[in-house]
Amino acid sequence: MNSSKIVAMLLAGGQGSRLGALTRRVAKPAVGFGGKYRIIDFSLSNCANSGINIVGVLTQYKPFLLNSYIGTGEAWDMDGGLFVLPPYYTEVGGEWYRGTADAIFRNIEFIDGYAPQYVLILSGDHLYKMDYRPMLEFHEENEADLTVSVIEVAPEDASRFGIMSTDENMRITKFEEKPKEPESCLASMGIYIFSWDVLRQALIADNSDEASENDFGRNVIPALLGEGKRLFAYKYSGYWKDVGTIESYYDAQMDLLNEEPEFDIFAGDMKIMSNSNSSSPQYIGEDASVEGSMVCNGCTVLGSVRGSILSTDVFVGKDAHVENSILLPGATVEDGACVKRAIIGEKAVVSAMSVFEGGDEIAVLGDAETGGEESAK
Amino acid sequence: MRQLIGLVCTNYNDSSFGALTKERPVASLPFGGRYRLVDFPLSNMVNSGINTVGLTTPYMYRSIMDHVGVGKEWALSRKEGGMFILPGSIYGYKNIQGQFLMRDLLRNIEFLERADSGSILAVSGARKVFNIDYREAAKEHERSGAEITLICTRAENRQGMFVTLDDGGRVTEMEERSGDGLLFIDSFLIDTALLLKLAEWYDALGYLDLTEIIRQNLPNIRTSCWKFRGYVGCVDSLSDYMRCNMDLLHHSGRRELFMSGVTVRTKIQDSPPAKYMDGARVSNALISSGCIIRGTVENSVIFRGVTVEKGAFIKNSIVMQGGTVGAGAVLENVISDKYAHVSPGVSLIGVKDNPVVIGKYMRI
Repeated sequence: MNSSKIVAMLLAGGQGSRLGALTRRVAKPAVGFGGKYRIIDFSLSNCANSGINIVGVLTQYKPFLLNSYIGTGEAWDMDGGLFVLPPYYTEVGGEWYRGTADAIFRNIEFIDGYAPQYVLILSGDHLYKMDYRPMLEFHEENEADLTVSVIEVAPEDASRFGIMSTDENMRITKFEEKPKEPESCLASMGIYIFSWDVLRQALIADNSDEASENDFGRNVIPALLGEGKRLFAYKYSGYWKDVGTIESYYDAQMDLLNEEPEFDIFAGDMKIMSNSNSSSPQYIGEDASVEGSMVCNGCTVLGSVRGSILSTDVFVGKDAHVENSILLPGATVEDGACVKRAIIGEKAVVSAMSVFEGGDEIAVLGDAETGGEESAK
Repeated sequence: MRQLIGLVCTNYNDSSFGALTKERPVASLPFGGRYRLVDFPLSNMVNSGINTVGLTTPYMYRSIMDHVGVGKEWALSRKEGGMFILPGSIYGYKNIQGQFLMRDLLRNIEFLERADSGSILAVSGARKVFNIDYREAAKEHERSGAEITLICTRAENRQGMFVTLDDGGRVTEMEERSGDGLLFIDSFLIDTALLLKLAEWYDALGYLDLTEIIRQNLPNIRTSCWKFRGYVGCVDSLSDYMRCNMDLLHHSGRRELFMSGVTVRTKIQDSPPAKYMDGARVSNALISSGCIIRGTVENSVIFRGVTVEKGAFIKNSIVMQGGTVGAGAVLENVISDKYAHVSPGVSLIGVKDNPVVIGKYMRI
């Protein structure tokens, strides 16, 4: 095993229960996004675009699709460097990862194998493009023990985040998880660069603390701060959006349909990579219409599609109507059906002539389910 | 069943495609939105369970090698078997008739010598588009006791190599002509041992094409014919090229090539989905990933990463990868090669059987 200056660890073990029916069959990082992508693509592409070749993906919930999607990591130019790390059994027993810090603690041996100087911790449920290299330079310049990437949020939103207070050199003086009365607007993005020796010690200490919840935000970072370690905040100012709830997952994708979206998947730099398929080009039928939408390979559209995202191998039948909706890979909208403000799961079917429509709340049809109410018409 | 190995011959060029084949062999012609012609024979081989495939490259091999690489997309980058690159001679580039030059086989005879002596070689050119399972043809090849089995289709009103059979189903004649009948579709099965023998006999006549050698030996070598019943796109000229692409807009052509349950494999590029802006009007069209469409597209095949600006109108046309069609431009019966740029307001109108070709990287 070659050594590596930096190893990235991607926390992907959460069930993602806030995504409801979408994570009934697959882990959150494997949920489809933006037509041809899956949520994990954005973090993996950021790693690839930052020259990081060793990435551990910590997973423990319904990992089959995620495992097959990740494969050897070749799709992100990391052939042989991308590892799925599920919990495992040892001579003293085995159990699920108890928290984010525990997940890393239990993979100390994996990280040690690469003898890195730094470990980058990522959480996989945000949409953003970031080159981690300037952040690493910042970390090195400050001789920091931990650098937390932060973004400025509106004061009224601050109580939803982990909030940092800093001195004039961006050294962190205070860290509060979801404070009722926030002192600053610098929110943690859940992206940490640790010096590995410091993190390694902190994880061992955290593991022996019976009272700890083994969580980075609640336990490890406050403990390091209490010990007077050098913690710095690295300010990021680009696009960064949570996609961990149905609402935010839906909104972030609808943003992609803008004429000039803030998050541009067409941009030539910081290319988003994915494990692509070899489906044929999409066919748009004689009487079809497609506007203000994104459509992937393998789709057949015979009806009308407006303001929607059609993932790979989606079928929209004759006289069907799809509006402001997200259709995940292999979904079928049969002839004459109407889908509005909805998310249709992978290989789900909306029956012919039926209606599947969201209101204030977005309607969600789970993977492989059949849905649609008989039309009143 | 005897072992099947494959040979795809791409050392062939043809001036009847005009500018499209000026700097690329016919096998590299982009086809159907995201493919190149060579994808079809290669996919046929692996979809038939063949995992040892030789590829004779054209003399101008850059575009083929760029596309095929080590055969990974066809699962041919492997330890047992795999893809074998067989460098073709310069003669293939000059000789616009032969697709299966004996000289290219002689130069790469090791590929055949190493094969199992009892094996059957499935040979294919790369200018006919079809999905075949060679295992079915091989069963018939074994049953009939033939040493060569030509793959043919019933064709009407075509130019090409037609075969005549006797009552026993043995091929008695192969003739280049136009008309109706059983058309040879540039693919055949041949006993590897026989081909090695032919290579010895014709050692000094390397300029001959293998099909010519077969024709000369019809009285001596038991040759039969297997009738393929699926769709065959014959890409023999510029107007054929246009028509075969347009066949994909018909349900039957698309179904047989793309929806029959087997995958046509190709080099995978990682483009974003196609984006249709407000005001886009698209009907009866194949659109590939990475396109941005603001204008109108009818009865056309649009390759990856093409931008169609507002008010542009594209009809009965093929726009290859990376092309730009400016605002208000009109293209009708046009084939625009890769990265061609049509400036705003320009109007180009060809006729159905004689499309206008815009060369690679050209700006109009």
